[in-house]
Amino acid sequence: MPFPIERIRNFSIIAHIDHGKSTLADRILEFTGALSDRERQDQFLDKMELERERGITIKAQSVRLSYTAKDGIEYQLNLIDTPGHVDFSYEVSRSLAACEGALLVVDASQGVEAQTLANVYLAIENDLEIIPVFNKIDLPGADVDRSAREVEEIVGLDCSGAIEASAKEGIGIEAILEAVVRRVPPPKSTTGNAGPLRALVVDSWYDSYRGAVVLVRVIDGVLAEGDKIRMMATKADYEATEIGVFAPFPRAVGSLGPGEVGFFAASIKSVGDTKIGDTITHTQVKLRATEQLPGFKEVKPMVFCGIFPTDSSEYPALRDALDKLHLNDSALTFEPETSDALGFGFRCGFLGMLHMEIVQERLEREYDLDLVTTAPSVVYHCYLTDGSMVEVENPSRLPDPVKIDHVREPYFTVAIHVPAQYVGAVIKLCEERRGEQKGIQYASTERVIVTYELPFAEVLYDFFDRLKTATRGYASMDYELAGYRQNKLVKIDMMINGERVDALSAIVHHSNAQTLGRGLATKLRKIVPRQQYEVAIQAAIGGKIIARETVKALRKDVTAKCYGGDITRKRKLLEKQKRGKRRMKSVGSVEIPQAAFHAILNVDD
Amino acid sequence: MMGQGLDTSAYVHFPWCLKKCPYCDFASAAIRRGEVPHEDYTDAIVRELEGRPVAGRRLESVFFGGGTPSLWDPKALGRALAALRGAFDAGGDLEITVECNPTSIDAEKAAALREAGVNRLSIGVQSVNDGRLRFLGRLHDAAGALRALEAVVPVMERVSADLMFGMPGQTADDFEAEIDAVLATGVEHVSAYALTIEPDTQFGALHRKGRLTLAPEGDFADTFERAREVFRAAGMIHYEVSNHALPGRTSQHNQHYWRGGDYLGLGAGAVGTLNGRRYKNDPRPERYLAAPAAAEVFEETLEPDDRVREALMLGLRTDEGVRFDTVQARTGLDARAGRERAIARRVASGDLVVDDERMRIPHERWLHLDGIVADLF
Repeated sequence: MPFPIERIRNFSIIAHIDHGKSTLADRILEFTGALSDRERQDQFLDKMELERERGITIKAQSVRLSYTAKDGIEYQLNLIDTPGHVDFSYEVSRSLAACEGALLVVDASQGVEAQTLANVYLAIENDLEIIPVFNKIDLPGADVDRSAREVEEIVGLDCSGAIEASAKEGIGIEAILEAVVRRVPPPKSTTGNAGPLRALVVDSWYDSYRGAVVLVRVIDGVLAEGDKIRMMATKADYEATEIGVFAPFPRAVGSLGPGEVGFFAASIKSVGDTKIGDTITHTQVKLRATEQLPGFKEVKPMVFCGIFPTDSSEYPALRDALDKLHLNDSALTFEPETSDALGFGFRCGFLGMLHMEIVQERLEREYDLDLVTTAPSVVYHCYLTDGSMVEVENPSRLPDPVKIDHVREPYFTVAIHVPAQYVGAVIKLCEERRGEQKGIQYASTERVIVTYELPFAEVLYDFFDRLKTATRGYASMDYELAGYRQNKLVKIDMMINGERVDALSAIVHHSNAQTLGRGLATKLRKIVPRQQYEVAIQAAIGGKIIARETVKALRKDVTAKCYGGDITRKRKLLEKQKRGKRRMKSVGSVEIPQAAFHAILNVDD
Repeated sequence: MMGQGLDTSAYVHFPWCLKKCPYCDFASAAIRRGEVPHEDYTDAIVRELEGRPVAGRRLESVFFGGGTPSLWDPKALGRALAALRGAFDAGGDLEITVECNPTSIDAEKAAALREAGVNRLSIGVQSVNDGRLRFLGRLHDAAGALRALEAVVPVMERVSADLMFGMPGQTADDFEAEIDAVLATGVEHVSAYALTIEPDTQFGALHRKGRLTLAPEGDFADTFERAREVFRAAGMIHYEVSNHALPGRTSQHNQHYWRGGDYLGLGAGAVGTLNGRRYKNDPRPERYLAAPAAAEVFEETLEPDDRVREALMLGLRTDEGVRFDTVQARTGLDARAGRERAIARRVASGDLVVDDERMRIPHERWLHLDGIVADLF
């Protein structure tokens, strides 16, 4: 018997990194008795080691809580924890679509940050009831009034009913739960239990026994064990073999009714078969929905880079590792790629920079691979003279200039939140990066939102680091795709000892191509270690050499003395030297360190 | 090869000098001539030796290093030597070397050492240029150094001289002249060291502050190559990175290290390696004298893998290279296993010469030795 819909509350927590989301979730779990003292563990919802370490959530999760409110009635609360990074904004929007309310957690000592804002806007778009919570009121720097003013001015949200809390000290937890019960509306279902099934796919993850496990929010109808179901976007049919909820540990339930959140397994081979935002319905004609839930999008990778094993014999191991990661991460794409310089590897696509870093880190840490990665690249749309268009996600593959009619590159709308005194520095940086100003909005007397349209490629090239430096770490940033624009773009090729190294090619705007080419050559001279022979480094644009640098030959690389008393120390020195070589790639007879392939990202350093 | 692992050389460290040299990072303390505890130090060496597991091993060579072991009374040194011979399986015709400074050796002293059983002297000449000797902080001058060599060559069976190059302003031509002068005294073995700045020395401190510069790398390299030519013209073989000798006059003691053999270390600051266990004694003489049988301050167990890497690191410094069968017998491992690709790459580039028995680095690539060896690690 499905749980009465009027006693269900589905909510999520929106917070900037470090503003206390995980701790608050832990306290809520404890307060409702979902976790015994024995089971307590910090950041309970962040399951992966990496998530815990970086304080980010990558996968959405849900917890069903049973809460008896002050009115004496027992409610079913479903807390849906969402990924908190702009790389995953589509995933966040689907998690929010599964909720009717959200807690907006703001660190009372810090105020509103850009990323929080992006997610708040998503919540507003999804018609969520937003309850402001000012956290960390125990801190001496906490200023609830100032934070409330910011939320009201920037977000336009009434803060009269805001809750003051300290998740760390356990203050305000009950008030939060009461507000969820009283202010978050119960889910609505037009058809109730009897109608055709419509359930929203919130996320999915891979389990080696069950296959893909799918987190869903039921909108209409009932999903029961043994049901024959269909994914409406992929049109694939399955049989739901297991239905359950997390409370917070997985527990089987026979069915999920309207408004409920839970998971099902159906012997689905990979998470790639379960598209986030897809609608699940029944295959049976009578119970089959005709219309998909709104908001579904195919996720497309935005950032690409080449990943190569330093030792080519590790290629099969790299392929296996990517296969395994892909089982659980359908946004990651990879295709075999051959580089003249780096050998066999993969061109991998990611949602954004954070996603890329996470994948690279997991490959090295969990699969113990030594990798060389090329600089990240955006996807260029290259229109040829014959009228066709090719997508170029690897700069070295840009077609011959004579065949190119024009090239278009992706632009982002970037919103930068910054204290007023740094506005000048932000504008200067954005102008340097070919930005086009879209607006300057005073959110309060001391906080400004600077909006620019910037080429995504410029954002990749250490934009965020520069921004942090220029604003002493006070800026926060949010961005979204704003379409493609035609620009005069050229390819810089780098040559080492006269041979073009494809993995070092970069596509840049023609106005600063000369400067970048020269800077890149200088930078590579500093990065490439001296070797037995002189190494010539050249930069070329369209076949014309524009810069040349020389790495002088190393003339002496030998230890003078090695006797009985020195052996351990000398051996350890050589072992250290050997470890340094693990991340080098031999291109011809020249050893090139990993850093060289990322030199384009910060040429001026 | 049976029992070869038990061939053992012995190193005895004498931890005092009249003056500490600014470039030297060996364990040594300054002491006045009259204050050396000759007999006490011998007693301590003998006590330490009693606790070392050397019974049944064959003694390969003995080396008295330092410090300045020529400050040690030859009789006291002789007593330590006799104890060593007694502790091992009777050794036959051994190479027994004592390191000397030109200021603490003359014909008479050499004769006394010979009397005590010593048959080889290694003399710390360093330079035969007065300016450079002052730079190195040495107590002797060029004339004194040559005089010392001329005095001991007729008395001692074998004599080696240490020379140094790579000092600021010292060119290959300068060094060639110094080699000629030293060879004219009749020495049959020369160790020619590139001046190295060790961190824990006076030179190290000066270098960190930017107050000491070395010869440019090109001068180092040119001098290194020139030295080989000059020695070769004198009939000497460049048998290790820093060592040149007439055929049959190579240092057996050092070759034993470079072949990866076991060695007993005795005395303050001495390092020994027996049965895959390496240890180091406290370098402070007073601590060592107080408890010579319990003076270890460091030990490590060498895994077969470590031993292979050490065999490569040491063996590839020599013209004979690394013998695969020797490494196999000592470690149970094939030195080539797991490094086939690196070996193939280095063979292709001419950095390595490999046949069925051994691998070696040809002389003309010795200036790049560390990088080549690191690649094989």
